[in-house]
Amino acid sequence: MRQGTRNALLLLPAGAWLLAMLVLPLVVVLVFSFGSRGAAGGYVPGFGLENYLNLGSRWQAFQNTMTLAPLGTLICLIVAYPLAYYLAMRAPRRWKTLLLVLVIVPFWTSILIRSYAWIYLLGGQGIPSWLHAVGLGNPRLINTPFAVVIGIVYGYLPLMVFPVYVSLERLDKRLLEAASDLGAPPWRSFLQITLPMSMPGVATGSMLVFILLMGEFLIPALLGGGKVFFVGNALVDLFLQSRNWPFGAAVAVSLVAVMLAIVAAYMRFTRRFAGSRDDVSLI
Amino acid sequence: MRLYALAIYLFLYIPIGIIALFSFNAGRHASQFTGFSVQWYGKTLANPFVMEALKTSLTVAFLSATLATVAGTMAALALPSLKGRMRLFFDAALYVAVMVPGIVIGIATLIALVTVFDWVNPLLASLWPGAEPPQLGLGLGSLVLAHGLFAMALVVIIVRARVAGMDRSLIEASADLGATPWGTFRQVTLPQIAPAVLAGFLLSFTFSFDDFIIAFFVAGPNTTLPIYVFSSIRRGVTPEINAIGTMVMAVSLILLIIAQGMLQRRRA
Amino acid sequence: MTDRNDQISRDTFIAELMRYRKGSVSRRHFLGVTGLGAATAVLGSAMPGLRGAAWAQEGIGDRVVLASWPNYHDPANFEAFAAATGAAVDMNVFGSNEEMLAKLQAGGSGWDVFVPTNYTISTYVAEGLIQPLDLSRIPNYDLASFDARFAEPGTVDGQVYAVSRNWGTTGFAVNTAMLNGAPKPVSWKEFWDMTMDAFSGRSMVHDYQLTTIGNALKYFGYSFNSVDPKELADAEKLLMDAKPHLFAINSDYQPSMRSGDAWMSVCWTGDAKQLHNDMPEIEYVLGKEGGELWSDFLAIAKDAPHPDAAYALINYLLDPAVNAKEVLFHGYPVADKRVLALLPPEMLQDPIMFPAAELLSPLEFGAAVTLTDPNRAELMARFKAA
Repeated sequence: MRQGTRNALLLLPAGAWLLAMLVLPLVVVLVFSFGSRGAAGGYVPGFGLENYLNLGSRWQAFQNTMTLAPLGTLICLIVAYPLAYYLAMRAPRRWKTLLLVLVIVPFWTSILIRSYAWIYLLGGQGIPSWLHAVGLGNPRLINTPFAVVIGIVYGYLPLMVFPVYVSLERLDKRLLEAASDLGAPPWRSFLQITLPMSMPGVATGSMLVFILLMGEFLIPALLGGGKVFFVGNALVDLFLQSRNWPFGAAVAVSLVAVMLAIVAAYMRFTRRFAGSRDDVSLI
Repeated sequence: MRLYALAIYLFLYIPIGIIALFSFNAGRHASQFTGFSVQWYGKTLANPFVMEALKTSLTVAFLSATLATVAGTMAALALPSLKGRMRLFFDAALYVAVMVPGIVIGIATLIALVTVFDWVNPLLASLWPGAEPPQLGLGLGSLVLAHGLFAMALVVIIVRARVAGMDRSLIEASADLGATPWGTFRQVTLPQIAPAVLAGFLLSFTFSFDDFIIAFFVAGPNTTLPIYVFSSIRRGVTPEINAIGTMVMAVSLILLIIAQGMLQRRRA
Repeated sequence: MTDRNDQISRDTFIAELMRYRKGSVSRRHFLGVTGLGAATAVLGSAMPGLRGAAWAQEGIGDRVVLASWPNYHDPANFEAFAAATGAAVDMNVFGSNEEMLAKLQAGGSGWDVFVPTNYTISTYVAEGLIQPLDLSRIPNYDLASFDARFAEPGTVDGQVYAVSRNWGTTGFAVNTAMLNGAPKPVSWKEFWDMTMDAFSGRSMVHDYQLTTIGNALKYFGYSFNSVDPKELADAEKLLMDAKPHLFAINSDYQPSMRSGDAWMSVCWTGDAKQLHNDMPEIEYVLGKEGGELWSDFLAIAKDAPHPDAAYALINYLLDPAVNAKEVLFHGYPVADKRVLALLPPEMLQDPIMFPAAELLSPLEFGAAVTLTDPNRAELMARFKAA
């Protein structure tokens, strides 16, 4: 068999799959986004831009997503970095594997069940009542942006810890010894050696978390009480409640466009910053 | 530093502890602990809909991970020697498949399939010789294909990285020694890429087993475990949800420990 | 199922039911005391054909898929149905008629029985999503014993598509312990004003355009069903102003009201009854400006995969004895005289279930146009996304 034929056969299943389940659906979404809503919902073919002109009415959902996704990513990073640093640099060797496994284990239950735990913890009988009992008022926590951020950090922390840990682990410890021999204080060697060397892991982790957050639906739905809307929630609402498929298609197209633009810009930035792309690859 | 790590572990485990604790609640409400009981485990295991949702989830995860691993590995082997426009198509499509949020994949698949079915079903009916023509609809098939899409892109990326780092001289040597391409694949290539293939399979399986949002749109009448849990939360909170969560976590933990043990034995 | 629980008096039955629902007795104890367990067991052994695989193979199948509302069915009735027929009830819960319609429109819902509200049935018929009912398969449905006002919307163009399940009102529930001496609100105006003031952060509305927009329209004294653009614009302004003050937008408000997170919520009759039974400080108010009067129906989806089980379940739920047990559980009034005759007399006097005539008279039935009006759908979606 000629190599060309063999290659074609090897690529056939994947190519057909991508065409049928990715390209075709995305084209259909694009076509739908120019149509209009039927009398009882659904889709009426047409060509108009009104769905895109109407995007302003979902501005708040885009704004929530574009603030809480980067913010959630940043908080995840701030919380995860010291832990990853501890695991890579300070943790006793014998315990390292166990401690690492303990970070992933929560990730093995569905995010649904983990968010559900926070419904209780942040609800009136959870943390607010404990605070009340010690005389610290009775704050409302559930159904607020704060609850959503907690859910995000809880849900995605392991995804951030891992890449950062890997990049710190790979760091050549002799560099740090050399720096200290040359009289550099620890904070300087951290800022000038450790931090820059861990940037690929930081970039990978941030990208992973950020991408997942841009399409998030469950955490705002469960912990936001239908009040803190992400674009994902607006999409579910348009398809499963107000039955405006064309407008929903336009929102979906816009979400993908925004994401691809941000990711492309980010990659260009990190490529310049981190030099090598090997470690920054998404997976 | 150690204190900080401890605090994070508490943050990670207190909610899980609470889920597990309330799964042993005797009362019907998940929020008031009224006594110790394992009745919710019995109820959950005896609930036919939970068991069926679990079976659906496992079937879909297994099928989509298997198909994704096979198709993805095949593509990863062929892609390095692919050039030109086809290469551009594959690179772009794989990139988009990983990047596009699950919710958009779910919605796009839903409306595309509904549109296609609306068009195909009458056609099938007019061509069908028998009285009851088959009706295409959303179901396990659409779910497997939708889950597998993202999983396949993952497998391609993971395996391709491994293929790139492979020792090509071995393959050439094998060919020079007269091995068939299939023989070369089985005896030289596969052992080298096996860890990546396995990792891709496991990731794909986990992704599908955990996914809620894609299934929410394209599962049709089928209920996966996450969909069941989501509708249980809406139906009113009972310790049954806690029992499901605790069991799923316990099983994953045991699998993890077994996998770890096997890896260490192999190394030893 | 025709057992009437003759073994114990109604009062004891209710008392036991309440104890059971509060979780202070086990199900076995409850079934034992009330004789339901015995009845179920006797029924099972007297008709062995009803049990086991033989029935499941030739009978109605092993399941029936139901799409219904939160806190709306007595699980014990479903257990008895499954024990008698071999078909387990797979229940899906929805928060609005729009959500049900969207799921049916997308196709592949897999539903057998669903529970539409009066104003939606003509749309389901027009969209071809609902089956005409063969009444000969629902012997328990006796049209003459139903209050026509509540049963009629199930008939479209002379064909029966849906049979009456029960009816109710949409008012609001308020936790009077949180009023701090202020008088109990009696109007929708007060509901919205309190939401934006003393009850800020503690008030809930449904994730449902009909009631949420409808009761915002009532603030201005407009019709609950208005689709007038100017009136809707007023309602939208009110909703947007109130949004930051809401605790949540969710049609399942019982958990939040019970936990004390929410103090006030737009509320249906039965939820109010259930909440009030367990927490007497939660009271039900019908806004004096009016609001919604509704009736719910049992219907079979067009592509129902288990039509035989669907008919069996509907027939079972319309059995007056079964339906009476449903009412004791959910606290919604029914339109069926035969069921009313089985209910404890004090229930028929209950002001939540059977409000005074002057409170009922300003109420409106939902209008079909609200379901399909694109402006109302988009207003609700905008409100949630805001």
